[in-house]
Amino acid sequence: MPAPQSGWRLGVDIGGTFTDLVLAAPDGALHTHKLLSTPDDYGEGIRDGVAALLGETGIEPGAIGRVVHGTTVATNAVLEGKGALTGLVTTRGFRDVLEMRRLRIPEMYTLNYRRSDPLVPRRLRLEADERTGPEGEVWRPLDPASVEAAAERLAAAGVGAVAVCLLHAYANPDHEKQVAAILRARLGDDVFLTCSSDLLPVIREYERTSTTVINAYLGPVIRGYLGRLQDHLRAIGVTAPILVMKSDGGIMSAAAAAEKPAYIVESGPAAGVIGAAHTGARDGMADCITLDMGGTTAKASIVEAGEVARTGDYEVGAGINLSSKLVMGGGHALKLPVIDISEIGAGGGSLVRVDPGGLVRVGPESAGAVPGPVAYGQGGTEPTFCDAVLTLGWLNPDYLVGGGLAIDAGAAARAVGAQIAAVLGRDVPDAAHGILEVACGTMMRAVKAVSTYRGRDPRDFALFAFGGNGPVVAAAIADLLEMTRVVVPPNPGVFSAYGLLLSDIEQEAARSHLALLSGTGPAALDALFRELESGLAADMAAEGYGAGDYALRRLAELRYEGQAHELAVPVATGPDGLPDTAAMAAAFGDEHERTYGHRADAEAVESVTLRAVATVTVEKPAPRLQTGPQTGLQSGGNAPGAVRPAFFGASAGRLDAPVLARAGLTAERRDGPLIVEEYDATCVVPPGWTARLDAAQNIVLEKGSAA
Amino acid sequence: MTRPGRNADPIALEVVRNALSSIADEMALVVLRTAYSSIVRDSMDYSTGLCDRHGAAVAHGLTMALHLGSFPDAMKALVADYGDDTKPGDIFVFNDPYSAGGMHLPDVYIVKPLFCGGELEGYAATLVHQIDMGGIAPGSTAVYATEIFQEGLRIPVLKMYEEGRPNETFFRLMHTNTRVPDKLAGDMRAQVAACNTAERAYGRLVEKHGSETFRAILADLHDYAEAVTRQEIAKLPDGQWSFTDWLDGLGDDPEPIPLKVTVTIDGSRMIVDWAGTSPEVPGAINCPSPFVKSAVQLIVKCIAGEEIPNFEGFARAIEIRLPEGTIVNPRPPAACAARAIVGWRALDVLLGAFAQIVPDRIPAAGEGGVTFPAISGLHRGRQFVLSETLAGSWGAMPDRDGSFGIPNPGGNLTNQPVEMIEALHPLEVERYGMVENSGGPGRYRGAPAYRRQYRVRAPGGVQMVMRSDRRQFLPYGLDGGCPGTPSWNIVNPGPDQRTEPVMPMEAVRLAEGEVFCHIGAGGAGQGDPLARDPALVAADVSEERITREYAEAVYGVVLGVDGAVDTEATGAARAALREARDNGGGTAPAYLRMFQDSLGLPGFRLEGERRMVYADEGGE
Repeated sequence: MPAPQSGWRLGVDIGGTFTDLVLAAPDGALHTHKLLSTPDDYGEGIRDGVAALLGETGIEPGAIGRVVHGTTVATNAVLEGKGALTGLVTTRGFRDVLEMRRLRIPEMYTLNYRRSDPLVPRRLRLEADERTGPEGEVWRPLDPASVEAAAERLAAAGVGAVAVCLLHAYANPDHEKQVAAILRARLGDDVFLTCSSDLLPVIREYERTSTTVINAYLGPVIRGYLGRLQDHLRAIGVTAPILVMKSDGGIMSAAAAAEKPAYIVESGPAAGVIGAAHTGARDGMADCITLDMGGTTAKASIVEAGEVARTGDYEVGAGINLSSKLVMGGGHALKLPVIDISEIGAGGGSLVRVDPGGLVRVGPESAGAVPGPVAYGQGGTEPTFCDAVLTLGWLNPDYLVGGGLAIDAGAAARAVGAQIAAVLGRDVPDAAHGILEVACGTMMRAVKAVSTYRGRDPRDFALFAFGGNGPVVAAAIADLLEMTRVVVPPNPGVFSAYGLLLSDIEQEAARSHLALLSGTGPAALDALFRELESGLAADMAAEGYGAGDYALRRLAELRYEGQAHELAVPVATGPDGLPDTAAMAAAFGDEHERTYGHRADAEAVESVTLRAVATVTVEKPAPRLQTGPQTGLQSGGNAPGAVRPAFFGASAGRLDAPVLARAGLTAERRDGPLIVEEYDATCVVPPGWTARLDAAQNIVLEKGSAA
Repeated sequence: MTRPGRNADPIALEVVRNALSSIADEMALVVLRTAYSSIVRDSMDYSTGLCDRHGAAVAHGLTMALHLGSFPDAMKALVADYGDDTKPGDIFVFNDPYSAGGMHLPDVYIVKPLFCGGELEGYAATLVHQIDMGGIAPGSTAVYATEIFQEGLRIPVLKMYEEGRPNETFFRLMHTNTRVPDKLAGDMRAQVAACNTAERAYGRLVEKHGSETFRAILADLHDYAEAVTRQEIAKLPDGQWSFTDWLDGLGDDPEPIPLKVTVTIDGSRMIVDWAGTSPEVPGAINCPSPFVKSAVQLIVKCIAGEEIPNFEGFARAIEIRLPEGTIVNPRPPAACAARAIVGWRALDVLLGAFAQIVPDRIPAAGEGGVTFPAISGLHRGRQFVLSETLAGSWGAMPDRDGSFGIPNPGGNLTNQPVEMIEALHPLEVERYGMVENSGGPGRYRGAPAYRRQYRVRAPGGVQMVMRSDRRQFLPYGLDGGCPGTPSWNIVNPGPDQRTEPVMPMEAVRLAEGEVFCHIGAGGAGQGDPLARDPALVAADVSEERITREYAEAVYGVVLGVDGAVDTEATGAARAALREARDNGGGTAPAYLRMFQDSLGLPGFRLEGERRMVYADEGGE
C-alpha cells in the first residue's frame, strides 16, 4: 500500500448511544451526520449513515479513499462478558495469577466489594511444566506432555481462543513458542492464539498475562466485527481500506487490529484527544487539557507541545478510570499504551441529592438515558445535573438543541426547587448554581488527575472542550483552576469522529530490558533497538509500507534503580549515531523533577522497557472556513438579537444573555454573558469571560473583558 | 432529617471536602511513584493526610485503611512539643510510639506545617513503613524483640528541616543506623516531596477562600462528619455486645493471647471497650493504641450506610477505652515492631461483635490479616531485604461466598510481581495461588486459602523473620458455617517436610535450595453446609476448587460422570451426613481432615468450636 490515499475521507465513531460520522472533502470541507447506534450489528448504522452522507454530497462511494473507525465494541465485549471462550496456558504453580491480580481494590471501607470474574475460568487456566529464569536462562525444560494434556482439555472444552503466558517469557520466548506449536497442532488454525512474548514482552507476570488474555478473548469478536463492517460498506460500494483507532491514538489497519485487538480497547475516547492535539497545535494552542463531558461521565486528558500523554497503567472493565494507580484493581490490567484519560462520574444525567448530613452530592449515580433528567418527561423524577443547568437558563428551555426532543424546563426547576432548594433552605436559582459548583468541583478532579497529579500546572494550558456538555461547563471549571482560556472546536458534539481523520498510522514494539543504563553501553542498547525495529519493519511490510514510508522513534522507560514506576523518555542520539545514555539519564532527571518535584542525579538510572514506534504521517483535512450552513447544523432557531435570562451565581446574579449561533461570533472579542447554541452542543460564556471566533472557527473564550 | 448547625455554605463545604481529599490522593501518588523500597511501591504500606492548624485530620489519601487513625495521636505529640515553635520551611520527622504518638519504629512520620500569609493553616502528614530502621533483625520487625530498645532507632519529634535547611545531624544519624541507607533516604525523600506537593495545593485553597472562611469551613466539616457518624450509630439497635478471639501466641510453645471487645450502643453514642484483653506480652506484638483505634474507626466506616468523610470530628461520636498495660495499649518499653497482628485480630474481634448487631452486613472471619515474611541475605555482594504482605481469603458473606484474591479490609495492599522479585533477589517463587479443598464450608463457603512458596537461590542462604497466625484458633464461622482452615509454615514441603511456628521467636535460616511454603488461613463459612445449593458445589468441582471426594464427604453432593448433580444420590448422602452430625459427629470434621492429609500435616482434634489441638507440632 502506498502513502495513504487522498480524496474523501470518512471518520466513523461508535458510542453507546450515537454513531457519529464526519466526511471530509478533498478541500477540507466537513459534512457530519449523527444517528442512533445499532447495537445488534453496529455496521448497519454505519452503512445507513454513510448512505445518508453519500446522498447529501452526491459523491460516488468509490470517491471515499479511506475509512477511519473508532469503536467501543472491544471495551463493551469485556464489560458485558461477550468475548470468546478462552483458555490460558501458564507456568506450573501460577494458574491463579489471573484471578488474584494485584489484590488491591479501588475502594476502601467496604465489606462487600465484588470484583468482576477473571476472563478465563479456572478450569481453563492450565499449567505447563517448565521454568525460565529472569535472565532468560532455562531453570527447567518444557515437558511437552504437560502441554499436550492441556491442549486436549482445551479442545474438549471447545475454546475459541487461547492465551499463552509463561513466567519470564519476555526474556526468552522459546518455551512459549513450543507451547504455541503444540496448541496449534492440536487445536487447528481456527482457534485464536496469542503468546505474551509476541504481544507484550515486558516484565510483571499479572499485567502481561492479563493483557495477553484480553487480546485472545477479544480476537474472535473483533475479527468477526471488522469483517462484517467491511461487508456492509462493500454492499454500498465503499471499498476503501478500513483503519482502526488504537487506544494510544494511532491508527492501524483492520487486519492488524483483528490480530491485536488489545490495542483498540480504548479506541472510542482516544479520537477526541487526538483531534484536540492536532487542532490545538495547528491553531496555536499546543498545550491544552481536553474536557469531554457527555451524559454519564466527564473525561480529561493532557496535551503538551501537541503531544498527547500516554500511560501503560490501564484497566479494562473497571468502570470509571480516575487515571490513578490509587483506584486500580477493579478491572483487568491492560499494559499497552493508552492515552491517559481520566474519567469522573459526572455528566448531564448525573443525579443530584442532599445527603443526610446536609451536603449536596452530584453523581456518580446517573439517570441514564432512561428515565433521564426530569426535563425529558420520560419518567425521571430525581433532579439531574442537566435539570439544574436548565433551571439556570443556560440551556434552551424548549427543546434539546437539534435533537428534536421537547424539554420541560418548568418541571426541571420544580424538581430542583422541591428536592434540593427547599431542603437547603435556599432559593431555586441559588441551589441550581450550587449544584453546578459541586459538579464542577468533582469534574475538576478529572482535570487535576492529568495535570497537578503529574506535576503540571493547569494555568499553563488552554481547556479544550467538546462533547455534548463540555462547552456548557468549560468556563466554570477553568475558573476553579485559574485557567484563562477555553477553546470549543467546530462540531463539538461529533468532534471525536473528526479526530479520527487527524491520526497517523502507528505500530509499536516493546521489550523488557531491566538493566542499569550505564551498564548496557550505547552499542548494546542500539542493537536492542535495532532488533525491535527489524520486527517493526516486518509488521509494517505486512501492511504494505516500505522503509521510506515511515519514521521511527525510540523511547525508553526509565527509573532510578530500585523504584517501582517508570517514566518514558525519548532516546537521545549522540554524534556517533548511537543512543546517548548520559543524555537519556539527564532527560529522565528532568522529567522526574517536573513530575515529582525532585531529582536524584547521584542515583543510578535503570531501564525497564524499550519501545520503538513506526509512524506513517497521514494527510490531514486542511483548515478551511466553512461559509455555508454546516450539515444538519441549525442555530437553534433563535432570531438575531435573542436574549435569555440566565443565572450566573450570587455575585453576578441574573442577567440577560444574548443567544446566538457560532456564526454570530466574529474575530472581535465579545463580553459574556453569551450563550452559543448549535446543533449538537451549547457553549456558555459567563460574565467575566469573552468569546471570539479564530480563523479555524474555534470559539475561543478568554478570561477578562473586551474593553 | 436533622442537619448540624453551621455557618458556612453547604456548597463550599462539599467543594472544600473534595479538594482536600484530592490533595491527599495527590500526595499518595507522589509517594507511590517515587518510593524505592518494595514495601512502599508494591505493597503500598503507607499513608498520606492533611490536618487543620490544630493538627486534627481533615483528609486521608486512598491508601491504607488501618492507618486511618494513625495521624491524630502523632499530631497531638507534635503540637504538644512544637506548637509554638513552628516556622515556614520546617519539616518534622518521628517514629517513636511512646514519646511521639507513633505505631512502631518502621512507620516513620514526616510532617510539614503549611503556612499561608505567614499564618499556620494546617499540616501535610505522611507515614511510610520504612524498610529498615536498624535493630535486632533486618526489616526491623522481629517478633522476638522483648523491649523497644532492640527494635531500632527511636526518633522523638525532631525537625529534619529547619526553615528549609536540612538537619545534617539527623541525616547522618539516620544513615548510620539502618542496613539500607540509600533506600531509607530515597523513601524519606518521597515523603518530603509529597508534603511539598500538598503545600502548594493547600496554599491555593486557603487563599481562594480566605483564611477566616477556610477555618470556619474546616470546623463545620468536623461537625458534619460527627453528625453523619452519630446518625449512622443512631440507626443501630441499643444494647451491649461482646466478642473474644485469640492470637495463637509466640514461638514453639505458644500461649493463647485473648482480645476481647464490648460494644455499647446508646442512642447516637458508641462505646468500644477492650477490657478483658491480654496484658502486654514478652514479644514484639504489643500494639500501641493508634492502630487499634484505627481498627474501630475503620469498622464503623465499613458498616455505615452513608459515606463518612475522613474528618477527625467523626471520632467524637465514638468512645474507645483501651486499658493501660494491655496488648492494645502497652507501656514503655514493651516491644511492638510486629504489632500489626494485633490490629488485624482486633478487626476480627470487632466484626465478631458487629455480626451480632448487623448480621446482614458482616462476613465470617477471613485469613486473619496480613502474613508478613521478611527475607534477607546477600545478593551480588549487597544486603537485601524482601518484605511481603500476603493476604487474600475472605470469609463468606450472608448471601455469597467469600472473595478470593482481594485484600483484607484493613489494608488495601498489593502483592508483588513474582518476576520482579526474581529479577531483584536470589529467590524463586515456585507457587502462588489457591489451595484446593481449603476454606470453611457453609451454605456460603469461605474463600480458599492461598499459598506462596519460595526456593532459596542465594549461595549463602537467607534468613527469614515470619509473622503469621491462625493455626490453633481458626477463623470463626457465622450462622452455622464452619471455621476456616489453619495457616501453616512448611519448610521443604514433601515427605521430609518440617513446620515452623506461626511466629518463630528467632530468624528461620534457609540454605540454598531449600523451599519455604506459607499457607494462609482459609476463610470461614456462613450457614449450614448441607444447605448449600448443590449447583454451587458442582461449580466448585468444575472450577477445581474442590475435589469430587470433598464435595461428597463435606457437602453430601454427589456428581455424575458428566459433572452434573445426581439429585437422588445427593439427597441420600446429605441425609446420612445430617444423621451423623446429629449423633455427635466427632471432633475431626472431614473438611479439616482432608485439608491436613492432602498437605501431609499432623492429625488433630478440635476443641470447642474452633481451637485445633495438634497431635504433633513437629510434623513427622
